Amino acid sequence: MKKLIYYLLPVAILALFIGIMLSGSYLKQPRGEDDSVSGKLVLVKEAVQKGDWKSAQQEIDNLEEAWEKVVPRIQFSMEKNEINDLGVSLTRARAAITAKDIAGALMELEEAEHHWHSLGN
Amino acid sequence: MNEALVVIVRGVIGFFTLLIFARLLGKQQISQLSFFDYILGITIGSIAASLTTDLTTRAWPHWVGLAVWTFLVAVLQLLTLKWRYAGKYIDGEPTVVIMNGKIMENAMKKLRYRTSELLEQLRLQNVFDISQVEFAVLEVNGQLSVLKKSQYQTVTTQDLNISTNYQGIGTELIYDGVVVEQNLGQVNLDRTWLDDQLRSEGINDPAEVFLANLDTQGNLYIDKYQDHLQKLTDIGDYPGPH
Repeated sequence: MKKLIYYLLPVAILALFIGIMLSGSYLKQPRGEDDSVSGKLVLVKEAVQKGDWKSAQQEIDNLEEAWEKVVPRIQFSMEKNEINDLGVSLTRARAAITAKDIAGALMELEEAEHHWHSLGN
Repeated sequence: MNEALVVIVRGVIGFFTLLIFARLLGKQQISQLSFFDYILGITIGSIAASLTTDLTTRAWPHWVGLAVWTFLVAVLQLLTLKWRYAGKYIDGEPTVVIMNGKIMENAMKKLRYRTSELLEQLRLQNVFDISQVEFAVLEVNGQLSVLKKSQYQTVTTQDLNISTNYQGIGTELIYDGVVVEQNLGQVNLDRTWLDDQLRSEGINDPAEVFLANLDTQGNLYIDKYQDHLQKLTDIGDYPGPH
């Protein structure tokens, strides 16, 4: 039994570490309705394309809230730059929506989507 | 993103991964490492450091790098162990730099090993007169092994035909104030015997003892926490901060 623990303990520790390091792709998936980043990105894009700025403003708020919920889960396994860049894209998209700039908002939302897909890959 | 928290978690991952990998690679001491092993150690340490603090990339690629380097070191270790030719090819061979009292200039030139370095390493071996040396071998790890001429070698008790008693490894019976019952049993002694010995030294409680060691002659060395020294020898030659 002692010998088993002697060999099993380091293997278990290494397995735990690998699990933590690779958990990002799994943990970025939504756990409920309010933390679905990819789902909310689609809703913001739809609102912007329709020119419904009031709804777009509401959806970008929801999107940023969802993103804030996801970041603590994925921070141990994802690169800081990608996380920061996605945050910056959302801030720019919010500014473009406030300015009612369709082209600018869509550009930033597309970039945010790109960062989202790059996370963990 | 809480950077400090991420660094703490990645630090724990790097630290214990390195610990496990180092145990996996074995017990080679730093002094026995070849130059290549030394460089490998630095590289592996550097990757572990990046894993901990380089937050611009994920931890996983660093960890894979760490695993690959460790794996390759383990493969090289196995290869050099099982295949002597590979061992010589990878680690190199010891080189004789003094043979029968003569300096091997060509061998030294091949090694890019200077005379001043030879003399320095001889001095480190307590040889201040090169004429006393019969053989000197530069080992793979860069250390110099020296065989003095027979007339300059230290006289041993065997040379003088003096019989000596067996001397083995001592056994710790008290460590940091705590009796090591397992060691006491190993030398077929018991607590009563130990207490008698301590009382004869004026010690009533093992907790007063910092270290008690029994040698193979049966002599018990006892060092107490309270040493009662009147004057401590100061080896400092300059008034420092302490």
